[in-house]
Amino acid sequence: MNARRVAAVFRRIVAQFRRDPRSLALLYIAPLAIIALLGWVLSSAQSTTAHVAVVDETGLPAGAAVAIRLESALDGQPGIVLNRSVADDSTARQMLKDKTLDLVVVLPSDFSLQNRKIELLTLGLNPAGEASVIPAVQQALLTAVADNAGAALPTIERATVYGLPTATQLDSLAPVVVGFFAYFFVFILTGISFLRERIGGTLERLLATPVSRAEIVLGYSLGFGFFATIQVALVLAFVLGRLEMPALGPIPAFAIGLGVRTVGNPLIAYLLVLVLGLGAVSLGIFLSTFARTELQILQFIPIVIVPQGLLGGFFWPIEQLPNLLQPVARILPVTYAIDGLRQVMIAGAGLSSPQVLLDLGVLVGIAAVFMALAAATIRREVA
Amino acid sequence: MAVALTPPTPNRSIPPTPGPAVEAVALHKDFGPIHAVDGIDMALSPGRIYGLLGPNGSGKTTLIRLLTGLASATSGRARVMGVEMPSRENLARIGYMTQSDGIYPELSVWENLTFFAALYGQTDRADLLKSLEFVELDTRTGTPAMQLSGGMRRRLSMACALAHHPAVIFLDEPTVGVDPALRVQFWDHFHRLAAGGATLVVSSHVMDEADRCDELLFIRDGHVLAQGAPGELRARAGTDNLETAFLWFATQSVGSAGSDGADAEPSTTTTGSKGPDR
Repeated sequence: MNARRVAAVFRRIVAQFRRDPRSLALLYIAPLAIIALLGWVLSSAQSTTAHVAVVDETGLPAGAAVAIRLESALDGQPGIVLNRSVADDSTARQMLKDKTLDLVVVLPSDFSLQNRKIELLTLGLNPAGEASVIPAVQQALLTAVADNAGAALPTIERATVYGLPTATQLDSLAPVVVGFFAYFFVFILTGISFLRERIGGTLERLLATPVSRAEIVLGYSLGFGFFATIQVALVLAFVLGRLEMPALGPIPAFAIGLGVRTVGNPLIAYLLVLVLGLGAVSLGIFLSTFARTELQILQFIPIVIVPQGLLGGFFWPIEQLPNLLQPVARILPVTYAIDGLRQVMIAGAGLSSPQVLLDLGVLVGIAAVFMALAAATIRREVA
Repeated sequence: MAVALTPPTPNRSIPPTPGPAVEAVALHKDFGPIHAVDGIDMALSPGRIYGLLGPNGSGKTTLIRLLTGLASATSGRARVMGVEMPSRENLARIGYMTQSDGIYPELSVWENLTFFAALYGQTDRADLLKSLEFVELDTRTGTPAMQLSGGMRRRLSMACALAHHPAVIFLDEPTVGVDPALRVQFWDHFHRLAAGGATLVVSSHVMDEADRCDELLFIRDGHVLAQGAPGELRARAGTDNLETAFLWFATQSVGSAGSDGADAEPSTTTTGSKGPDR
């Protein structure tokens, strides 16, 4: 291992990127733009009002009584607008299709005091959005039941061990996003850079010099690690910081940064992302062996990147994955980075936490394996 | 040339010994069913310029890659300065100008040169500037390589291969795209390097450059058809034209080597159409 040769490779990568402003923009501006967009969408998701009706199909006096109690319980619930003029099920269904109603509470024709079944009818085109109305309706049903029983409802208050119970989706997604971007962009840039070495004849030229494969991989890791460092610092600053800008002339007041509430040490978060990024550098070098064109590098995105996004804990906890997929998730580096970042940024864990140490250790191990694979694919014989 | 096949036994601890600068013993390289290099024996003496001549696909580039350790032989041995190849340490004494330019298009002339030189441990700025002066790129140090003309890129590629003053220099089609005036200067420089003790192996399919070499190796189908000084080869073939001499040697070898035909592609200046060599 010769430090001067490693330094030469490092300097070359820095020089190449300095002359490629578009790739630098991809590395620095694209993540900020996407995170800003995500923050904007998540923090000001519109609270909608749901138009709700109660339909009694029973034809029984008992049913009518229940319907009236439900109506009075629903009336005045926050976010609910009650429509009392809907007569029957078919009218209600038509109004759902016309979008003049969002949810219908149906007392079906087989409803009786013995079979107290109630249907909640929605359109079914957007299950997630429609489901957001259901808690308010359930609350109204509970109130109606409580009224019936003549007892007051218990009040429910929520508390969490870590973070704040008022934590938004954004607060819990932010750490994940930081790790994922570093991985994605570093992989793409290294993969394409190294592919160009392979097809552009410079790798052949490099291998005709006394530089060793390990020196090349290390130089690449330092070079891309350097740019990933700046990227992660920028993204962390944007996610954690918040700078309020006052209104100025025609420009209304706005804020730069998301100001996500975290308790952990950003340096440990940074360390996790850096190790993840070093793995991505070597993975890019390794996979560039299996590509002949830049387009073929992009074909690795659905194969390598998207599954990590789906399985790595980005959207669903690992424990909720099907049994067959859980072992797959546990060999993905992003899984450990996301877990570590959540431990650090939400639970405030430090390097004394065995969980964080485990995550970091696994990431170091994965990076080492990828480095060995990368070095093995840089063959002197490239025929 | 029936030489017993010796299995390759790379031994990097062999010290350089006086003797041939470049040596091949029963060198074979197969790509599947294709025998790209099919039993080449040669011993090239220090301080001389050797020309590898042959049509595209004759095995010139593969031979150079075997000699530089970029490819591993199927069987046989390759030695440079007495050291068995492949040897990473030995590469510090070898300069290799590849057929493709092998330079970084985003990097400037100076950045390309200093990068490759640094990998050889050569960081003497004044000396590096001299190698740029020689290829007439000293006024272009800050220009990104992608903005250079094809001939300029070729010149930069050569400067990158020679900056560390190698003892053995492999030049794969070095003068393609270089204008005639500069081509003359290149050959003058090659002769100066040889006079200084360097061994040069220059591949070409342009016969009119061949006369500038001390010795020629006619290569076809992975074999050496003939080796000798240009005048000697012409005399043996009974012609005053190297192109005709090449074809004569090719016909001579048909019976003995069982080659698949005597119709080498002759043209006025080249022995083959332009395209990447194997």
